[in-house]
Amino acid sequence: MAAGGTGERRGLAPSLPLAAERRRFPRPRAAWRGGMAGERAAGLVRELHRAGGGNLPPFRAEGLRQALEEMRALYERNQADVSEAKSGRTDLIFLIRFRHCCLLRNQRCVLAYLYDRLLRIRALRWEYGSVLPNTIHFHMSAEEVEWFNRYKKSLATYMRSVGGEEGLDLTQDIKPPKSLYIEVRCLRDYGEFEIDDGTTVLLKKNSQHFLPRWKCEHLIRQGVLEHILS
Amino acid sequence: MYQYIRFGTYVNIFNTVIPLFLQRVLLLVASDVDALCACKILQALFQCDHVQYTLVPVSGWQELETAFLEHKDQFKYFVLINCGANVDLLEILQPEEDTLFFVCDSHRPINVVNVYNDTQIKLLVKQGDDLDVPAYDDIFRDEEDEEDDSGDESDVSEPSEKRRRFEEDVIERTMKRRQRREWEARRVLCSFILSFCFSLIKSAMVMFDLAWIMSKDLNDMLWWAIVGLTDQWVQDKITQMKYVTDIGILQRHVSRHNHRNEDEENSLSIDCMRIAFEYDLRLALYQHWSLYESLCNTSYTSASLKLWSVQGQKRLQEFLADMGRATKMGLEMKDLRVQTFSIHFGFKNKFSASDIVYATASLMENIEKEGPETTNFIKALDSLSRGNLDKLHQGLDLAKKQLRAIQQTVASCICTNLVISQGPFLYCSLMEGTPDVKLFSKPVSLCLLSKYLLKSFVCSTRNKRCKLLPLIMAAPMDVEQGTVIMVGIPPETESSDKKNFFGRAFEKAADSTNSRTLHNHFDMSIIELKTEDRSKFLDALISLLS
Repeated sequence: MAAGGTGERRGLAPSLPLAAERRRFPRPRAAWRGGMAGERAAGLVRELHRAGGGNLPPFRAEGLRQALEEMRALYERNQADVSEAKSGRTDLIFLIRFRHCCLLRNQRCVLAYLYDRLLRIRALRWEYGSVLPNTIHFHMSAEEVEWFNRYKKSLATYMRSVGGEEGLDLTQDIKPPKSLYIEVRCLRDYGEFEIDDGTTVLLKKNSQHFLPRWKCEHLIRQGVLEHILS
Repeated sequence: MYQYIRFGTYVNIFNTVIPLFLQRVLLLVASDVDALCACKILQALFQCDHVQYTLVPVSGWQELETAFLEHKDQFKYFVLINCGANVDLLEILQPEEDTLFFVCDSHRPINVVNVYNDTQIKLLVKQGDDLDVPAYDDIFRDEEDEEDDSGDESDVSEPSEKRRRFEEDVIERTMKRRQRREWEARRVLCSFILSFCFSLIKSAMVMFDLAWIMSKDLNDMLWWAIVGLTDQWVQDKITQMKYVTDIGILQRHVSRHNHRNEDEENSLSIDCMRIAFEYDLRLALYQHWSLYESLCNTSYTSASLKLWSVQGQKRLQEFLADMGRATKMGLEMKDLRVQTFSIHFGFKNKFSASDIVYATASLMENIEKEGPETTNFIKALDSLSRGNLDKLHQGLDLAKKQLRAIQQTVASCICTNLVISQGPFLYCSLMEGTPDVKLFSKPVSLCLLSKYLLKSFVCSTRNKRCKLLPLIMAAPMDVEQGTVIMVGIPPETESSDKKNFFGRAFEKAADSTNSRTLHNHFDMSIIELKTEDRSKFLDALISLLS
């Protein structure tokens, strides 16, 4: 990657000796302003990969913008060099090919970043339900929020169409349930919790309840209740 | 005549308890091991029948009231386990007309209002359990008799008849007055009888009976009933006779559930739980400890051998040296063995009932953890399930610490003569700087300490009169607020029926001296009071009881 540094500066003859280059640009790595080619995009992917376990880190709009900026700069330089190469300078072909590889790499990274985020957001619908907690909402960009809404609508339409008149809620009972009712313990004070038939349950810390499974699942996923296996 | 549920007839169950099984129920459970076991059995029954319930632990009257107030809008059916029978529930809680209370309480005497209430309070007792409740007419006099007195005077017509009637009136009125005086005398006698507190039947066993009648009993529930019974025996709340009788009853159930183990060909896998009857040594936790430690820390052996003295230690060494021989070298330990049950599952796990009792009790009164008290209750409840062996082992470790602390405190109290006779009772007070004194700020630990101390004191003193006295024990409860927890236990005699009159005595003494006391515990013989009021409270007690 460092070899590409000598050809990138405009206005300098390519035949300047390497020692002089090092003197002028003491840092061998950061050969141009944006750092190494593809570093920004790779950084996005790395960060997303580190936040494993389905978590959604904040949307790095700035990083994305810089990666796209880098791609645009590479493309423009390639454009200029291609016209020069056509008019005789065949030694530029390697440079053009190199820049093209960088462009492709950036494209792969950025696409992977965006797509992986979408997959995670999709999983959130199945885990949290239709309403996402505010903390997660802040981590999403406006486009992602819109995508999420459209996905919700699409899923709801599908669920309504399946399973007869009332539709079938596919997001419940993801694992086959062993019993209709489960025993749960309240891990923190939640307050009153209303169930479908109008009755309310007061969820206080360390109280135990025996409730129908489908009424508790969301609270278990949110961490308010804990399923007790005796 | 009595309006409570006797588990003799199946019909009774259907009419009274089964409607419970169609509604949502609130369980209010007291903080002792017997209540925990009863609660587990009832939970298993409810889960079997898909009854939605909510479980709220309570440790005193205030918490009971708070929990009731929080939940009364959401529930109509309340089940109270080991709490609520010995006070007038309706007056304290002021419930709505259609609320129904099911009370399964081992505290006696049951408040008469609870017994004679037809509609809102249902008591769960076992058949054959004599409640010693006086007849209805003895307590509640009908109001019609009062009105006759005033009616007679206005009904006068002719002079001659007037005079005759006047004489008849006089005779009638004197008869009535005499009857009334007799009635009042009987009433006083009844209230005197009712002032003794004691425990009779274990809530856990009542629950197991319920399960058995509904044909839903399991080995697990039987084990919990055994633990509940053993808890009452370990805490010395029932007589030896009653314990042996109840062991006999449970033994029949145990053989019914566990007979497959004896058959070599069809025996169950080693991982299944099995209960076995044992005539075992009476040493606390001896399977989890060395025998020496166990001998030192069991109240029975340490009191008989008088292990707080040098002589006692020598005697212990001799005892250990002679254990190989058949004779017992003239020691007074006749009842070293006791009938009990033990549980096996897997290859490593074998526990006797008293081990579980000690472990659960020490988990429930664990002072090390911060956080609300209900966390300890939840941990103790979990440790009763077989899947939570790590909690059980933690409980066993805590129990060892607790027993060691008890023995050391007992030894120091006896050696420094901290137990003094106040006349009608013995009194011992723990100072603040005593090691492990924080452990004894909890009621059950303090009761255990007092019983062991009384046993050891009775063995150590030569004063014949002191041997028959009850004991009051005081320990600092909260240093910042300046409160002291005080416990009264009945005297230690061979034939004692374990009845405790301190509940009523404490109340009266507090009233007469205006001491700032808190009678928060379900067991009326445990109170908290301010340190400054202690001396005048004790003086009042002395004058009351002598």
